[in-house]
Amino acid sequence: MIDRNITIEDLVDDYPFAVGYLSEKGIRCIKCGEPIWGTLKEACIEKGFDDKQIEIFVKELNELNNLNQI
Amino acid sequence: MIDIQKTLQNLGIDPLNFGVSTGTEWFDTTGKIDSSSSPIDGKEIAQVKTATLDEYEKVVQKAEEAFKKWRLVPAPVRGEIVRQIGNALRTYKADLGALVSYEMGKVYQEGLGEVQEMIDICDFAVGQSRLINGIALQSERPLHRLSEQYHPLGIVGIVTSYNFPVAVWAWNSALAAIAGDVVIWKPSSKTPLTAVATQKIIRQVLIDNNVPEGVFNLVVGRSSVMGDNFLADKRIPLFSITGSTSVGKRAAEIVGRRLGRTLLELGGNNAVIITPNADIQMAVMSTVFGTVGTAGQRCTTTRRVIIHDSIYDKVKDAFLGAYEKIGQKIGNPLTDGNLVGPVIDIHAVNAFLDAVKKVQEEGGKILFGGQHLTGPGYESGNYVVPCIAEAQNQYHIVQEETFAPIVYFIKYSGDVQNAIDIQNDVPQGLSSAIFTLNVREAETFVSQTGSDCGIANVNLGTSGAEIGGAFGGEKETGGGRESGSDAWKVYMRRQTNTINYGAQLPLAQGIKFDI
Repeated sequence: MIDRNITIEDLVDDYPFAVGYLSEKGIRCIKCGEPIWGTLKEACIEKGFDDKQIEIFVKELNELNNLNQI
Repeated sequence: MIDIQKTLQNLGIDPLNFGVSTGTEWFDTTGKIDSSSSPIDGKEIAQVKTATLDEYEKVVQKAEEAFKKWRLVPAPVRGEIVRQIGNALRTYKADLGALVSYEMGKVYQEGLGEVQEMIDICDFAVGQSRLINGIALQSERPLHRLSEQYHPLGIVGIVTSYNFPVAVWAWNSALAAIAGDVVIWKPSSKTPLTAVATQKIIRQVLIDNNVPEGVFNLVVGRSSVMGDNFLADKRIPLFSITGSTSVGKRAAEIVGRRLGRTLLELGGNNAVIITPNADIQMAVMSTVFGTVGTAGQRCTTTRRVIIHDSIYDKVKDAFLGAYEKIGQKIGNPLTDGNLVGPVIDIHAVNAFLDAVKKVQEEGGKILFGGQHLTGPGYESGNYVVPCIAEAQNQYHIVQEETFAPIVYFIKYSGDVQNAIDIQNDVPQGLSSAIFTLNVREAETFVSQTGSDCGIANVNLGTSGAEIGGAFGGEKETGGGRESGSDAWKVYMRRQTNTINYGAQLPLAQGIKFDI
């Protein structure tokens, strides 16, 4: 289960599909080949997304994860 | 062909390894177990047990205790221990070089070169251990002596990246050790095994010399354990961080909030200028190593080539010829003859493909490569064909650092200053180079109106720095300097001493204060 406080490092390792999803939103999880530091929430806020948008991202990421598990 | 199983055996790497050590002791930690896989074949190499916050705390306490003892050991004696560490690395050079290649993906020759760099900085540090000097100054007050001296600083946090998984630790820890500091090393989560192997290599030296437990510490940990809390830890006065500008900014903010020190070695967007006065053959041969070496994953990788329009076609053709040959030598980097190995993982492949796409969307043109390699020999999915793209310097994608083998060709016309202006017009400022046989152009390039980078070379490429000169860059590269010259001063605290050996109490600036 992905929540807004997951670290980007864990997100990249455990849910690699999230890298592409977030890249499309303008959030780069990987820089210089390494995951950026901080949480999903922090990365979103840095790019100007608000609470509501973060909630949508989390929801969609979990839906994608469920699809991947089917 | 290298026998990796034998290499792992020689280095003491087991299927499951401890990831926390205070020098000679290893800790059976209870954090998440991380797996390290090779980008070469995608196979798991081994696993590492990571630290929890409690275990991190124990290491910091041990480091604090060790510092109190280590700072009292004379610097040349500390240097002797670093000399022995250099010798231990000589003994294990072939094995550690092979593991660097296997875990990170660089070609074996570069793996060996990385270990040689560790040895070189040890040699440098040994000499420096007898040269830690202060200065004597002239006091305005009679019978007063004014001087400066350097003292050990404390615990140094070292955060390293996967592309030089062990050399950067050596750059920092060799100088920190002779300075009287103790280190806590957080290696890249992509290359924990080279860190474990290095810690095992130095262990016997520490035992033989009764080095206090806690001088050389290793903590393999997730960012939830070795992240912001590590940076915010007031017991650690200095952090040396190698990584992206994004990580560097975050680290600088957190460490800066408590007025700690940072030594930052961050991203580069390095350019080579080729003028009409260049030896073109030399320029091309040298620059190709800079563009495709380490599969474009060096901080100093050549990202842009700025070419005078009068020689553009000639230079382009020479590059294309060289890349055609390189294209036949992409593969397992442990196999003799291969010059380009994989990038670190599928995310790096995607970043590369994304850059190839974006440069075209912005109006650029692909001159060579840019494909993802599949099929026999490329099963790991991490191999790409190095790319050359014609571009404009102001493109968004050109202004960014893509950590992969893509280089942008940019034309300039007129005077060399136009090329220098293009070169400097990026956020980063690490390495730069010019190829010219014209002394005016060369001197302009290294002058105050020339390159704004920390490294500015003439008739050699942007990558492949040697131990001796200080390494680092300006602007978003972070401003840090490490590994050579007077970089040792960063690891020490400076103290100004005024000694009154007279019987009077004169105040500075002639102030009268008679009671």
